Amino acid sequence: MPQHTVKAYGDELNQLTAEVARMGGLAEAQVADAVDSVARRDIALARAVVERDARLDAMHRDIERKAIRLIALRQPVASDLRRTLAAMKLAVDLERTGDLAKNIAKRGLILAEGEPMPPLTRSIERMGKLVSMRLRDVLDAYAAAEIDRAIAVWNTDDEVDEHYNALFRELLTYMMGDPRTITAGTHLLFMAKNLERIGDHATNIAETIYYEITGQEFTGERPRWSPDAAEAAPEPLSPV
Amino acid sequence: MPYEVSPSPVAPRAGSRLWTAGASTGIAVIVLVGLAVYQPALAPYLLGAAGLIGLAAWILNRTPPAPAPSNDPAGLAPSQAALETETTLLESVFEALADPVLVVSGGEADDIAGRRIVLANAAARDLLRIQREGGLLVPVLRDPAVLEAVDEALFGGLTRTTDYAGMGAQTRHWRAVTQPLAQARSGPLALVVLRDETDVRRMELMRVDFLANASHELKTPLASLSGFIETLKGHARDDPKARDRFLDIMATQADRMSRLVSDLLSLSRIELNEHIPPAGRVDLARAAADVVDAVSVLSAERNVVVRLDDRETSAPVHGDRDEILQVVQNLVDNAIKYSPASGTVEIVIRPDIALDEAAAPWSGGNRGDGATRLPLVTPDREAGQRYAAVTVRDHGPGMAREHLPRLTERFYRVEGQKSGERQGTGLGLAIVKHIVNRHRGGLTVESAPGQGAAFTAYFPLAPRREAVTPS
Repeated sequence: MPQHTVKAYGDELNQLTAEVARMGGLAEAQVADAVDSVARRDIALARAVVERDARLDAMHRDIERKAIRLIALRQPVASDLRRTLAAMKLAVDLERTGDLAKNIAKRGLILAEGEPMPPLTRSIERMGKLVSMRLRDVLDAYAAAEIDRAIAVWNTDDEVDEHYNALFRELLTYMMGDPRTITAGTHLLFMAKNLERIGDHATNIAETIYYEITGQEFTGERPRWSPDAAEAAPEPLSPV
Repeated sequence: MPYEVSPSPVAPRAGSRLWTAGASTGIAVIVLVGLAVYQPALAPYLLGAAGLIGLAAWILNRTPPAPAPSNDPAGLAPSQAALETETTLLESVFEALADPVLVVSGGEADDIAGRRIVLANAAARDLLRIQREGGLLVPVLRDPAVLEAVDEALFGGLTRTTDYAGMGAQTRHWRAVTQPLAQARSGPLALVVLRDETDVRRMELMRVDFLANASHELKTPLASLSGFIETLKGHARDDPKARDRFLDIMATQADRMSRLVSDLLSLSRIELNEHIPPAGRVDLARAAADVVDAVSVLSAERNVVVRLDDRETSAPVHGDRDEILQVVQNLVDNAIKYSPASGTVEIVIRPDIALDEAAAPWSGGNRGDGATRLPLVTPDREAGQRYAAVTVRDHGPGMAREHLPRLTERFYRVEGQKSGERQGTGLGLAIVKHIVNRHRGGLTVESAPGQGAAFTAYFPLAPRREAVTPS
């Protein structure tokens, strides 16, 4: 009977979205917990983050399998196809996010063996808060299918970059001042880089959401400061 | 078809008269057919009998069933009404609960899309921006720990409390209590109650930060003191010139420490009194005049003119005289500290204004220089309450918008600003905030980089008497 087929089809699509939302929730918690474990020097929490990453991988595989099955059996078109593809793309981004969070937690375990460095871990914490907030915003946008919120996240990526640059300078200063902090400083540097890349994944997700809802690729220029941006602009042709 | 096998709303109840009639007719038909096959000669009589039985069954079917109410208790109508009012009462109670409450249904254990929100009260709908019923749970509440707790409540029958952060622009901390509900026909149900724990968390965080900051602030002058003592004991012992200079610096540092400690003490005293409304009566205008006189030495030192317009106004407010003085004093101190040499600090008293006027920008709101205004403390609105306001305006470097909300935090300093030789303790505005709060008054700040800053504190006006108690 036709209604039944469509109902099951709709259920499958909804289930896919729900799975992605759940995976997003887990990835979000992984990032927040990883940063927390570094800030509080919480070894147990860091270990939990490392262990939980396997679940994220399993969810990623599961979503991929379900999406492929859905494409094979239902041949989705138009918005249904975009929704399926977006679920797959989001799963990849979220899986990467989880890997980066795991890496942060692992480095946190090493840092916990040494002396505490409050000002530096506080900077990492601040950056981590910012990044997890963006991740949360973009996942909220996905759950509620709100383009504006996704675009807002996309537009504010330079905040994360600024934080990263500031942290980079701060860490360099520390390491130059006291060579004993180089090991810890390097780990913190990598953590900052990981956070910055999590931020990039959040912008990727925002782009995917835009594609899912509108069917068009997001082609805006990212607001990023560069020294030669002004010069690089093509000169208007003078009417001769 | 007259009889549907599936349970439909019109299907006869088991044991009803219709079932009996149908069953007996069926048996009669089978018997008749059996007889007809066994003895075909009887067929005409049997046909007649069948007709009779059919007629009887039809008549039975047509007659309305025996009046049901006769079996039921006599007082059904009122009890039903009572039940209804009780349901609507329960419903309205559920709706009115201040904490967000959700009822979640389970579906299959391994199907995450099966977790649906069966019911959500008004607070939950506001918070999660969802419909009253039928939404998927996962998109709105995707924290893994909470989802796990919901699963445990649904399929394991466990009650659990989970803390999580999330939802909304500002990070809020929530505590989710998940409980199993009685099994319904459609499957297991669970109750999720959310409670906002943000304030509790924030208080904890503030306490920790405060301890760290206070000890840090005390450590700096202490370190320099012990450093100089070491030097004086060592090679500077016989150098009178250096000794004098060092002693001067030490005196400054000791002074700074004692100011810090006294500020901390007064802050803790004010905090203790914060919920006790002040009893006295103070003239705000006269307090301002007193402060201007008191700071004349400091302002002359820094070559800053402190101007107080019309000293003749009287603005009696409810308040503790020392505390009101401290508010004005701290604001004027700050203004002088951040004023450039030979600058001016203006103090304006507005003796009788409404709350909206008090909270409005003192310059009328159309400065056009991009200055932002931010209320730091806002009193509860009370109808008809009038206020007296004191505004202290300086022409110093001003502050950017992002610093304004944090000004009243303890030890908060605007980056890149020096408060001159006389360093502040970083507690001045925190003290002002607490005093204003205790007096049920308000505090607003208006500033922009390069444009100076204007702080306005306002207090509830005391009813005018013929002779204002000299303050």
